[in-house]
Amino acid sequence: MQDTVREDDILLEVRNISLSFGGVTALENISFDIRRGEVRAIIGPNGAGKSSMLNVINGFYHPQEGEIWFDGKLRHHMKPHQVARLGIARTFQNIALFKGMSTLDNLMTGRLINMHANLFSQVAWIGPAQREEIEHRQKVEEIIDFLKIQSIRKTPVGKLPYGMQKRVELGRALAAESKLLLLDEPMAGMNLEEKEDMCRFVLDVNEQFGTTIALIEHDMGVVMDISNRVVVLDYGKKLADSSPDEVRNNPEVIDAYLGVSHD
Amino acid sequence: MFYRESGDFKTSYVQDQQIFPILQDRVFVAVVIAFAFLVVPFLINDYWEKSVLLPVLIWSLAAIGLNILTGYCGQVSLGTGGFMAVGAYASYKFTTAFPELNLFIVVLLSGGVTAMVGILFGLPSLRIKGFYLAVATLASQFFLVWLFNKVPWFYNYSASGQINAPERLIAGITITGPNAPPWATYLFCLIFVVVLALIAKNLTRGRFGRSWMAIRDMDIAAEIIGVAPLKAKLSAFSISSFYIGIAGALFFLVYLGAVEPTEAFGIDKSFLVLFMIIIGGLGSILGSFIGAAFMFLMPVLIKNIMVNGLGWSPDIVAHLIFMIVGGLIMFFLIVEPHGLAQLWRIAKEKLRLWPFPH
Repeated sequence: MQDTVREDDILLEVRNISLSFGGVTALENISFDIRRGEVRAIIGPNGAGKSSMLNVINGFYHPQEGEIWFDGKLRHHMKPHQVARLGIARTFQNIALFKGMSTLDNLMTGRLINMHANLFSQVAWIGPAQREEIEHRQKVEEIIDFLKIQSIRKTPVGKLPYGMQKRVELGRALAAESKLLLLDEPMAGMNLEEKEDMCRFVLDVNEQFGTTIALIEHDMGVVMDISNRVVVLDYGKKLADSSPDEVRNNPEVIDAYLGVSHD
Repeated sequence: MFYRESGDFKTSYVQDQQIFPILQDRVFVAVVIAFAFLVVPFLINDYWEKSVLLPVLIWSLAAIGLNILTGYCGQVSLGTGGFMAVGAYASYKFTTAFPELNLFIVVLLSGGVTAMVGILFGLPSLRIKGFYLAVATLASQFFLVWLFNKVPWFYNYSASGQINAPERLIAGITITGPNAPPWATYLFCLIFVVVLALIAKNLTRGRFGRSWMAIRDMDIAAEIIGVAPLKAKLSAFSISSFYIGIAGALFFLVYLGAVEPTEAFGIDKSFLVLFMIIIGGLGSILGSFIGAAFMFLMPVLIKNIMVNGLGWSPDIVAHLIFMIVGGLIMFFLIVEPHGLAQLWRIAKEKLRLWPFPH
């Protein structure tokens, strides 16, 4: 991990990001990078600014200062749906599925950025529209197989248990076939077994599809086991940025988690 | 020959993604359409045309239109009456300005004009949501009706301020005006309703439908996976208004024949269509038909039973109808808040395993 990194190995780089809401500073001069093909963890106590960071990367928040470089290019002011088209997908801390739609439709919606059939072929359901639908269905079925959710293919997601919903949400993000996958607490509220399943999926996604992953997670065991590098935030500042082992032994990080007072 | 899904195995995605995946559904829809086209025109009389078939068809179309916007895309609108008025007045202006223009084209153009107006009044939806949007669309309802009352150009400076459908023929058959035969007006409407309903079904199960439903269910997540809210909402507004505009044009041209905007396209019509889709089922094309039939036919049925069957006086019955229909609406909303289409969906789910549910 310590060897020199070539410039084009970096998929995403944030430089000197500062974000504040009115008088409240959410992020202060944060810089870090995400390399191609790695699993990058972002950790920190509650309110540290982790989700804000993801929202900045997604384009929901626009930082007052700083630059975001994605895939070697400086990113200008962008809306979330434009960011999606660049190749960044995401799951949410609180499940944000389309509750009225089936699992299949949720995943198909994940592929919308790759679908282009025009209104007139949609209307008649012939030609490009139908071909496209079949082609993307095949891709989605691959993801359904991968996540082992065949049996709930046609079930409305609102009826599914929590762990399954989390899995479908991962599936929807996977369906976009993005370069970078942001996971906001993918294992929150899961039991041990579900967590293990989810870890396996995250690692498999990383290894099989080569997707770069950035995840926020509170379960330190999980973070230490699956991530290549960890960045630690606290009160909007970057505390540490190194390998899991170094982070584990960093006194500042331990203080932040155990709650030593800030002067 | 039971109605059921089990045993109907799909071996390709094409089969699985058909418009009606269940065999019996396909047969049933085909039979209904064939019956409507081949049998009904020979049986139809003036009463069935004016009191039952035409209004149900036209209101179904308006309900499908509103359902696309409200049921599928989640944008509540109270402007339906106003948009129907746009369709009606557009068809009037087109057919009086170009008397030779085929009536099909007139109606489609009217839908197009309404779609434009719909996009215009849909712009606020990008900023405001829910009840606030409903109030904003209410403005369009009042503004449009006011416009058609106040600007004489729209009613060709007629003394009464009304618009009257001139007699128009297609292939030698009178479609509009008092001399139009019932079967001709019926078939004219039926063609629009069947084609547009099938189109709505196609649109809602494809790319457009998914982006609408994504916006409806969770707009933030929709944005994050690449749905542009602007495009999704405005496409829903325009397509919905296209349907509603066509319904308005048909309502004026073949059903009413003469129209005064405040009365024909008032706020009560907006509510009526909204109730139709709530009762029928939000986000369901079938529900649009069921809702329109329920809201329109129930009073007719009750009136027939009480006045003609029991011999009660019509004015008492008129009051009773309000109470009974109101009661029925509440009953159905309590039994099934997701609309009558949901009852059908549940029945279908039960039938999947019946008669061996364990």
